Amino acid sequence: LQNFWTFWVTSPPGKPKLTSCRSPEKETFTCWWEPGSDGGLPTTYALYYRKENSDAVYECPDYHTAGENSCFFNKNDTSIWVNYNITVVATNALGSNFSDPVDVDVVYIVQPHTPENVTVTVMEDKDGPFLRVSWEPPRKADTRSGWITLIYELRVKLEGEEEWEEHRAGQQKMFNIFSLRSGGMYLVQVRCKPDHGFWSEWSSTTYIKVPDYFPRETSVWILIAVFSAFIFFILTWILNLKSNSVKHCLLPPVPGPKIKGFDKQLLKNGRSEEVFSALVVPGFPPTTSSDCEDLLVEYLEVYTPEEQELILEEGKDLQEGCLKSKGSPSDSDSGRGSCDSHTLLMEKCGEGEGKEEKHQERAQKGKRQQKHQTGWEEGDVSHTREDVLSPDMSEGRVKTWPSVFSPLPQYSSRPLDHQGSLETARQLCLSDSLFPPPSTSSHLSYNAKEGLALGSGQQEFYLGKKQTHPSNPQSQPRWHLQAHSDFNISSMDRKQAASGLQLPGFRSTEYVEVQRVNQEDMVILQPLFSSSCQRDGHLQIGQGEDYSKVKGVDSGNMLLLQREVEVKREEEDGDRYSCDIQDRVTESCYTTSTAASSQVTGKPTSCAGTAMPVQEEMVLAANGYVDAATMLL
Amino acid sequence: MAHRGSQATTLYLTALYMLVSCTAVPVNDLLDRASQRSDKLHSLSTSLTHELDSHFPPIGRMIMPRPSMCHTSSLQTPTDKEQALRVSESDLLSLARSLLQAWVDPLLLLSSSANSLPHPAHNSIYRKIQELQEYSKSLGDGLDILSGKMGPSSQYISLLPFRGSNDIGQDKTSRLVNFQFLLSCFRRDSHKIDSFLKVLRCRAAKMRPEMC
Repeated sequence: LQNFWTFWVTSPPGKPKLTSCRSPEKETFTCWWEPGSDGGLPTTYALYYRKENSDAVYECPDYHTAGENSCFFNKNDTSIWVNYNITVVATNALGSNFSDPVDVDVVYIVQPHTPENVTVTVMEDKDGPFLRVSWEPPRKADTRSGWITLIYELRVKLEGEEEWEEHRAGQQKMFNIFSLRSGGMYLVQVRCKPDHGFWSEWSSTTYIKVPDYFPRETSVWILIAVFSAFIFFILTWILNLKSNSVKHCLLPPVPGPKIKGFDKQLLKNGRSEEVFSALVVPGFPPTTSSDCEDLLVEYLEVYTPEEQELILEEGKDLQEGCLKSKGSPSDSDSGRGSCDSHTLLMEKCGEGEGKEEKHQERAQKGKRQQKHQTGWEEGDVSHTREDVLSPDMSEGRVKTWPSVFSPLPQYSSRPLDHQGSLETARQLCLSDSLFPPPSTSSHLSYNAKEGLALGSGQQEFYLGKKQTHPSNPQSQPRWHLQAHSDFNISSMDRKQAASGLQLPGFRSTEYVEVQRVNQEDMVILQPLFSSSCQRDGHLQIGQGEDYSKVKGVDSGNMLLLQREVEVKREEEDGDRYSCDIQDRVTESCYTTSTAASSQVTGKPTSCAGTAMPVQEEMVLAANGYVDAATMLL
Repeated sequence: MAHRGSQATTLYLTALYMLVSCTAVPVNDLLDRASQRSDKLHSLSTSLTHELDSHFPPIGRMIMPRPSMCHTSSLQTPTDKEQALRVSESDLLSLARSLLQAWVDPLLLLSSSANSLPHPAHNSIYRKIQELQEYSKSLGDGLDILSGKMGPSSQYISLLPFRGSNDIGQDKTSRLVNFQFLLSCFRRDSHKIDSFLKVLRCRAAKMRPEMC
């Protein structure tokens, strides 16, 4: 719509402008211009060109083929490697206007058409489907002769996506696209470019649908996942079954305190005093004598007949002998028997290795016994018993050791204390009635060779009762001394001296008289030769003499042991022994315990029945050792 | 007669191709390599002219000499496709070699004056000119080998002397203008070389039609 003023104002046309010139195949080209204002008047445009070599100006041969405001140069008018100088002129009634000249060389302005016949097909191979894109060069481009060399490019995208995926295809006219999404719709476009030129436009979109397929990779992964899950479940199940052993293996149980009476809660509370006090169990350590006896191997058991307390000890070959008291502790024979018994002992014991020693010993013993006896009589052994007895032990046991066998030399070496042996053996009878305990008996076997020796058996002095009032001989029987010993008197036949002949049958009671107590608190026992006439029991001679019959305890805390010689047969020669001898070597045997020693007796008091050194040949019947250590008076 | 003549031509061409193909390196392969080098040559020259044009004084375009003023313009080359396709391979090769040979000296001049060129990108220009020289040299060697395989007529090289002085100019503008003018001439000639070789390549690749 032209207004009033435009009608009246006209001007020459504006300056046109050549926009671009293009050649699609390097054979023709087209130039386009842009007209300027027309100045209100109809304006015509003309294009003029000039080739570089000549000055001739030519006008555009074709204004229409290429459309409006264009100029098309056909093959005849197109020269390559020649510069065109092109100008557009706009002309109207008032004037004309030239555009700026443009220099164009056709070979530099090549822009082909789009590739043609773009075909996309879905192909299959072992890895899955893929797209095969193929095309043809633009129709007019002569690539066959090599006049134009084109390189191609294509782009692909899934339907709905924003970004294209571009691929350079080079000079080939075919391209494969892999890694497709199953069931996806793809868009494909292709374009081309000459080696030295401009890119063509993208071809029209080609749609292609990828069929649904199951990717092989996924199936493999699914298989692996299933397999792994299966393995995992199996392992879990096994682990569940063996959870205990696995727990044991991985987390071994921490050993906890297994102390009886240990309270973990108290420990957690952190008070150690309570914890430890709880551990103190009454009764530990054991202070009772229940197991005390087990600690000692052997013991000498002596018990008083009055109390009728039979202390049975289980020695190995203990033969409990019941020492029968001869009667009242006071015996007229107490003093005398020692000398005679010595003689008797010497006769019976026979030879011994330590004969000479025995002689000496016996001589010494004889002296000592005498001394001791006096001492006894004087009653200066008051301190014996009480000290020995431990207050807390109701029964004391005197145990003898098998090592007592060699007391004989010891005797000689040790000087006797005043409380020691008696010169005269006394018969100690602790109890009037002695019951042969069925327990074992100890052997007091003397070896003819060795002289007085204890047998393998044990002698156990079992001391009963605590109360021992030395002044009261009557009360003495309360404690029992039961000495069992098997005396093997092989004086008759010395051959059998080594072997301790057991006293046949009557093993229960043996009689031993305590000859003395040596310095080391050893009660020396002597076989007691009691007057068989007084006894009803059998007297056995020859096979051993039974002694260790505790007659009693006299006032001086003297253990009165009585030895009885039993006669097997009356017709034997032993009869004369029995009645005549009446050796009773009574000896007070007590365990001396000095005040210093806290124990009952520091050492076992061995009472060895030393043979009375009456004759050399006498063999001490028995050596009884009283283990004063355990003898509690 | 014509039939026989065509037969003879076919025989001749076949024999020629067989001869050519019996070489250690097949001709089409050589041509392929040559084409690649010429392509690179032209690309370099094009980028050089664009780079120089970025800071080119407008007045310089006004006083730019016409392309017919190039020292190689006397060489007759095809001006359209029909003409080009009618040229024999030897001639095409000869033309290519002639053009290439004509630019050995000017490239030296350009290389020597690039550093002092009053242009901000003269360093880059200098490096590219160096590359131009390298590619030109190797292309020339390859074409020499090719010419030995392609017949005696390819051995003919037209001399195109460079009459330009050793100096591209005194003032800044004239130097730039002269530099740009030389580069433009080289750009065209490199395009010609490239085109000729690519035509030759397609002609020699009859066994591989997919290339062309």
